[in-house]
Amino acid sequence: MRVTQNTTANLVLNNLQIIRQRTEELEQQASTGVKVSAPGDDPVTAQQVLHLKALISAGDQYSRNISNGTAWLSMSESAMSELGNVISRAKELGVAMSSDINNPDSQSAAVKELTQLRDELIQLGNTQLNGKYIFGGFKNDTAPFDPAGNYTGTDDAINIEVDRGTQVQINYSGGQLIRGGTPPGSSGTDIIGTINNMITALGAGNTAGVRTELGNLDNAMGQVLATRTDLGARLNHLTAAGNIIDDRKLSLTKVISDKQDVDFAQVISDLTKQQTAYQAAMAASAKVSQMSLLDYLK
Amino acid sequence: MSISSILDIAKSGLTAQRLALEVTSENITNVNTPGYSKQTTIFQTAPTTLERGFPLGSGVQVAEIQRAYNDFLQQQLTGQSATEGFSSTVLASMNQAQQLFNDLTTDGLGKSLQDFFSAWQDLTSNPQGQPERQAVLASAQQLVDQFQRINGSLHDLKSEANQSLEGIVSDVNNYTSQIASLNDQIKLIEIQGGRANELRDQRDQLVRELSGKVGITYIEQTDGTLNVSLSLGQPLVIGKQAATLSLQPDPANSSYYKVLATSPGGNTTTDITSIAGGIDNRQGEMGGALQVRDTMVNGFLSDLDELAYTLATEVNNVHTTGFGLNSSTGLSFFTPPATMAGYSGSGGIAVNITQTADVAAASTDPATGGTGNNVNAQTIASIYDKVLTTSGGQLTLGSFYNSLVGKVGVAVQDATRTQATSDSTIKQLDNLRESNSGVSLDEELANLVKYQTAYQGAAKMITVSSDMLDTILGLIR
Repeated sequence: MRVTQNTTANLVLNNLQIIRQRTEELEQQASTGVKVSAPGDDPVTAQQVLHLKALISAGDQYSRNISNGTAWLSMSESAMSELGNVISRAKELGVAMSSDINNPDSQSAAVKELTQLRDELIQLGNTQLNGKYIFGGFKNDTAPFDPAGNYTGTDDAINIEVDRGTQVQINYSGGQLIRGGTPPGSSGTDIIGTINNMITALGAGNTAGVRTELGNLDNAMGQVLATRTDLGARLNHLTAAGNIIDDRKLSLTKVISDKQDVDFAQVISDLTKQQTAYQAAMAASAKVSQMSLLDYLK
Repeated sequence: MSISSILDIAKSGLTAQRLALEVTSENITNVNTPGYSKQTTIFQTAPTTLERGFPLGSGVQVAEIQRAYNDFLQQQLTGQSATEGFSSTVLASMNQAQQLFNDLTTDGLGKSLQDFFSAWQDLTSNPQGQPERQAVLASAQQLVDQFQRINGSLHDLKSEANQSLEGIVSDVNNYTSQIASLNDQIKLIEIQGGRANELRDQRDQLVRELSGKVGITYIEQTDGTLNVSLSLGQPLVIGKQAATLSLQPDPANSSYYKVLATSPGGNTTTDITSIAGGIDNRQGEMGGALQVRDTMVNGFLSDLDELAYTLATEVNNVHTTGFGLNSSTGLSFFTPPATMAGYSGSGGIAVNITQTADVAAASTDPATGGTGNNVNAQTIASIYDKVLTTSGGQLTLGSFYNSLVGKVGVAVQDATRTQATSDSTIKQLDNLRESNSGVSLDEELANLVKYQTAYQGAAKMITVSSDMLDTILGLIR
């Protein structure tokens, strides 16, 4: 191959250009910290990274749903625990009043307390979270229990999505929990009805009537406990789903980092190599292009 | 043989060496002229005559001033220029398109899509909440804005490509008319013998630049003229006649330009829009601009339209069955799409409802079924995860968008690679051409010494023969 000043100059220029280009790429990687900063850098990786990022942000949304659901269920849990206390107290009163040895004064005191307990039941049924009645089903912005204890809410399930396609019900119908279904007592124990019956019986001095309701109170306790067990299971489900999302987020972040992030040690050492190469190329080209026959002609 | 023939021979030497020195100085001064080919003086002996039984020469003469030229390299350079012109045009446009879809570093349409469905998820937790409903409307508006922004920018890309045709056409016309006039001059010069080296260099350079604009082929005629035509046939230069390209808005293609060519010297006008850049318009800047305008960007646009259309249809289907807080029902959430084409642009997708109360989160009338009903909101929120039948196969909306980003990425990568390859090929070919036809100063300086010495020798011959004449004349005295 015939070599002229221009072929040498072009060669030097090209080589310097190539080194500059590589250096710039490496500098960009070092300053941004990512290998793939535009889809064109690596379309397949870019697509995967976008998909993984979408999974992470979906996970964040599910986490928010879960924390909302946990708040609802925790609130229900504390209301139900209080419900248990009310039923226990009613049971104590019922047992005490079921014998004939009580005088009318203590009976009327018991009636008063039972009435109070019933109001407390209604109040618990009207428990609110962020202004919403958690036992009201879909009709949750009006109190689901009227002062007489009639349930006006719905039995609908309020579901939230805790993971792709997985729904968890976060509410319990007050009608089923406290009134044993609609109409009352149709599918369970009507707790308010039981206490009403006790009040009526005691008011009439009918201790036998009070005794017959004791069994219902046991059933009521069973009903609340069973619901609490179910609630515990749901809370566990939420916690587990939350943990899975957190774990997945961690591993997804790691996968994204593997795909997208640069190995700094590698980049910096490559960068140093390029700089050395650049210096060498410049020094060499400066030497080569200095020489010409012109220097020796007079 | 006489003394005067020595003088004659010496004179032919002076003339020839001086010419060689002229060529050398032409070479040296054009060392950096683009497209210049090194010229070499070819000497030959002058005709011999019989002198007292001996055939003796009558000096030296210049047979030819030869141009170092390799037609194969020129053909390759012309072809690569076409690829280079095409790929750099496409790359510039694709890089712009890439910015629109770069969800890796900025929040783009993909994020807006997620945010929109996230807002619906939040609404399921609090279906009667005003802030949640407001968030649904706001994120929907943002999503619509993103669609329209990207759609608008893609149309801008098409317009830019269309606009660039004006410059390309005027360059092409300029080059073809220059080639035609050079054809004429070369023919006139070469008819008298000799080669029009510099003019041929200029013409070769113009052919290369023309090829960067449109894909061409060329054939040299016996009279030295060059016939140039588009690689798919339409003649651009025949002899001293050049074709004229012009642009005309095409109503059939959104009033973008169609490229017309008036044949050289004739007046028939042909629409060359589909052939200006060779097969599939893959050659030259014009091919690149047409390809970007009529094919590549349209592919992205139709995907974007499909995404917007599918989103709106899916959301509307569920939304119309639901109920707003004010018992409104049957409302479309997005403007119902009439056709898919162009739906992602302005005048297409828009948020159809304005009141927060109209957001249909409930599956039954809240007036009777309760305002806490989140069933519809949930169904809409789950559309994001729903696998839908799209032109790209069974995909979710998110994956469909990601695959669109992937397509843009592949287009950029493809253009980058083609550009890098043709760029380095051109550099190599250029270097080969330089090696073959370029001027080497060392070589020319050596020639300078050579010719100068020969010139001195010839001059010395004249001195000697002059002395000889003096001697003869001195005899008479």
